[in-house]
Amino acid sequence: MSGAIHRVTVEPLGQTVNVAEGQTILDACLRAGIYLPYQCNHGLCSTCKVTVVDGEVDLGEASPFALMDFERDEGRALACCARPLSDVTIEADIEVDPDARNCPVLDIETDVVEIRNLSSDIKGIWLDTKGVTFDFQAGQYVNLRLPGIEGERAFSLANAPSEGLLEIHVRLVPGGRGTGYLHEVLKVGDKLSLSGPYGRFYIRESAEVPMIFIAGGSGLSSPKSMVLDLLGKGCDLPITLFHGVRRRPDLYFAELFEKLAAEHGNFTYVPVLSDPQPGDGWTGETGFVHEAAVRHFDGVFKGHKAYLCGPPPMIEASIRALMKGRLFDRDIHTESFLTKADADGPSRSPLSQRM
Amino acid sequence: MNAMQPPPKQKKLSLKERYAHLTRGLGWNTTYQPMDKVFPFADYEGIKIHDWDAWEDPFRLTMDAYWKYQAEKERKLYAVIESFAQNNGHLNITDARYVNALKLFLTGVSPLEYSAHRGYAHVGRHFVGAGPRIACQMQAIDELRHAQTQIHTMSHYNKFFDGLHDARHMHDRVWYLSVPKSFFEDACSAGPFEFLTAISFSFEYVLTNLLFVPFMSGAAFNGDMATVTFGFSAQSDEARHMTLGLEIIKFMLEQDEANVPIVQRWIDKWFWRGYRLLALVSMMMDYMLPKRIMSWAEAWEMYFEQAGDALFNDLSRYGIRKPKYFEVASKEKHRLSHEVWSTFYNYTQATAFHTWLPTEEEMTWLSGKYPDTFDRLYRPRFECWSEMEKKGNRYYNPTLPQLCVTCQIPMIFTEPDDPTTTCFRSAEYKGERYHFCSDGCKDIFCYEPEKYIQSWLPVHQIYQGNCGGAEMKDVLAWYHLNFGADNFDYTGSPDQKLWDEWQAQRSANAV
Repeated sequence: MSGAIHRVTVEPLGQTVNVAEGQTILDACLRAGIYLPYQCNHGLCSTCKVTVVDGEVDLGEASPFALMDFERDEGRALACCARPLSDVTIEADIEVDPDARNCPVLDIETDVVEIRNLSSDIKGIWLDTKGVTFDFQAGQYVNLRLPGIEGERAFSLANAPSEGLLEIHVRLVPGGRGTGYLHEVLKVGDKLSLSGPYGRFYIRESAEVPMIFIAGGSGLSSPKSMVLDLLGKGCDLPITLFHGVRRRPDLYFAELFEKLAAEHGNFTYVPVLSDPQPGDGWTGETGFVHEAAVRHFDGVFKGHKAYLCGPPPMIEASIRALMKGRLFDRDIHTESFLTKADADGPSRSPLSQRM
Repeated sequence: MNAMQPPPKQKKLSLKERYAHLTRGLGWNTTYQPMDKVFPFADYEGIKIHDWDAWEDPFRLTMDAYWKYQAEKERKLYAVIESFAQNNGHLNITDARYVNALKLFLTGVSPLEYSAHRGYAHVGRHFVGAGPRIACQMQAIDELRHAQTQIHTMSHYNKFFDGLHDARHMHDRVWYLSVPKSFFEDACSAGPFEFLTAISFSFEYVLTNLLFVPFMSGAAFNGDMATVTFGFSAQSDEARHMTLGLEIIKFMLEQDEANVPIVQRWIDKWFWRGYRLLALVSMMMDYMLPKRIMSWAEAWEMYFEQAGDALFNDLSRYGIRKPKYFEVASKEKHRLSHEVWSTFYNYTQATAFHTWLPTEEEMTWLSGKYPDTFDRLYRPRFECWSEMEKKGNRYYNPTLPQLCVTCQIPMIFTEPDDPTTTCFRSAEYKGERYHFCSDGCKDIFCYEPEKYIQSWLPVHQIYQGNCGGAEMKDVLAWYHLNFGADNFDYTGSPDQKLWDEWQAQRSANAV
């Protein structure tokens, strides 16, 4: 690969993605988390048709029946075949999300100002942006670049956007190089460079309905940021946070959420242990976190917005429980916590592409 | 009338807004007549819809754009058809036996496109929501176009080959064509929601790759560029059709929990109905293409077992499980095509296409693709028939077969767990006994017996004297089948004679 990279701006989102030499626009968008409608993925069905507003593209092997001559003249292209020849702006048939603030992506260097054990295998790391205003929406993530380690590592921000320091939660993945570095090598005073914010996991405030947050393990980070943001803004809609961990020592920030629940009548905090030990003295909810949610809501979720953050099996189980309770994909927002080692999940059909 | 003020200059509407005007803007609650009189089929199937506005248009194509697209597609397709004819494209196909796949397609599938046109036009009138109404109306026009362009594409072959002269008439009368015909009539005579589940979802979404891909890839592999071009021109519509199938299922499942078991029953029924119909495709893939694409078993694994797994895994979140008897279909994948082709070989005197025994080379291919079944169960059968042919004693089945009342296929299929025992099922209804090829077909009958006891079963009709007469020749004449030209083996047929002459001429010219 010669390494030539073109930037493609996707309207009406206003987001920009990098497209490598030879890569199609669709591939680059999907990899960057921008969902463009598509189907056949090889130029025959025309589901992924876009308008090239600015710049030049190679139309590739688009079928003459899927991309008509008059459409080529009008600057249409099939994203699954089109490769940019310059920086390009496209307009795609996607709906503008009224809740997306499209904060600009920044590359910054930060100072590590605090590292603290949050639970038996999760560390909290606090970063100072050194005067740079790092604007993000609660729920979004950043990519960290770690010295000597190839690729980037994604971590959700756990602080409310109004707070000064950036906060990430890192669970030690056994044998994981990135999390191993953050747990064992990184120390206060080090520098960390990161880019962000990324992701479309944020609160759909315009919906104005009660909210359910389901977090598994270190998936508490995004929900923590979101809950703090909502309560800080004076949101008075019912908010329920479920946090599932295995044992009592795995639970963290419990005091913070208990305090918030005491202060805010609209906020309920439900910690759930899947494997409580006799010594834990646990009297709260037990079992899987989605089961606790089913009990709490009597199996009826209709009329809510749900935000799920955690490992893929927890997400899948929660989606099933929510759908059984008549809450469907347009009201379920998810952030799967994959480790670098996680293979691709089970193949999905176009039925669930929105989630 | 108020004087029209020039509207203020506005930003061009987005596609979504334009589509909303085309759909929601065209719907209204009626006042001269109550809504339930205007939409009499909206409720009786038991599907509960609370909010038609929750329908998410799976595609947004405005009418002006639609005409523009289709016009250009037509221009391109007809240019290819024209040059195919001028260049005698039929001379470039792999072998004249290939044309028999086209005969099956033109008599069995193209009329279904026309039935689909009628079906979508019908339900496009009867949905209360304007979104699905418009989607169905556009699809109705697509389907009409598909029927027409298929007929035009294949009409070139009709100038030279037999059996292509009266597809529409044959579809209504010929015994094995009652299989596709009754399939579609079953769907068209159901309510609007079941029709979309049957055709848009089960057929166009779940099973379409097993119908369309084999025929169109078969055309490409066998040098039939006209049909390939038709395939491309249709595929750009099919994506729209498939998304309509997904959306209707999702919409019904999300609108009311009570819809889930109804939808499940329809998915069960139409999976099995569609699968049985595809038996004709299985034999086309394994026996009729001179140059093969893949085996039926491989296609089933790729397009149903793998793709279906992902789909039904997602649907399970809605409480929908895999279609009943899907495992039977998988058990049958190593025998289906052999059982069907053998049957047509048996009845070659009454088919509008030619049959033949697989060559030694083809049997080697079949044993490679079906290592567990072909050599053990089917090769001996073909070798026996081959011996009989050599002795001038070609085997013809002299009696008419018993038909399954539901799928109308002769009772040729075998027990799910025993490919050497024919599968017979039966049920009694109002003192009459009805026969079925499988548990799947029996279940379908038993749920709606009043519907299926009206089936027009070709064999029964012949015996009742409703099909032109008592002799086979009378019946074939009533089918508009040209005796001695359209039917019997490829070997010795006028098709073969003509093709061989062309080949001889070609090699003579080359010298």
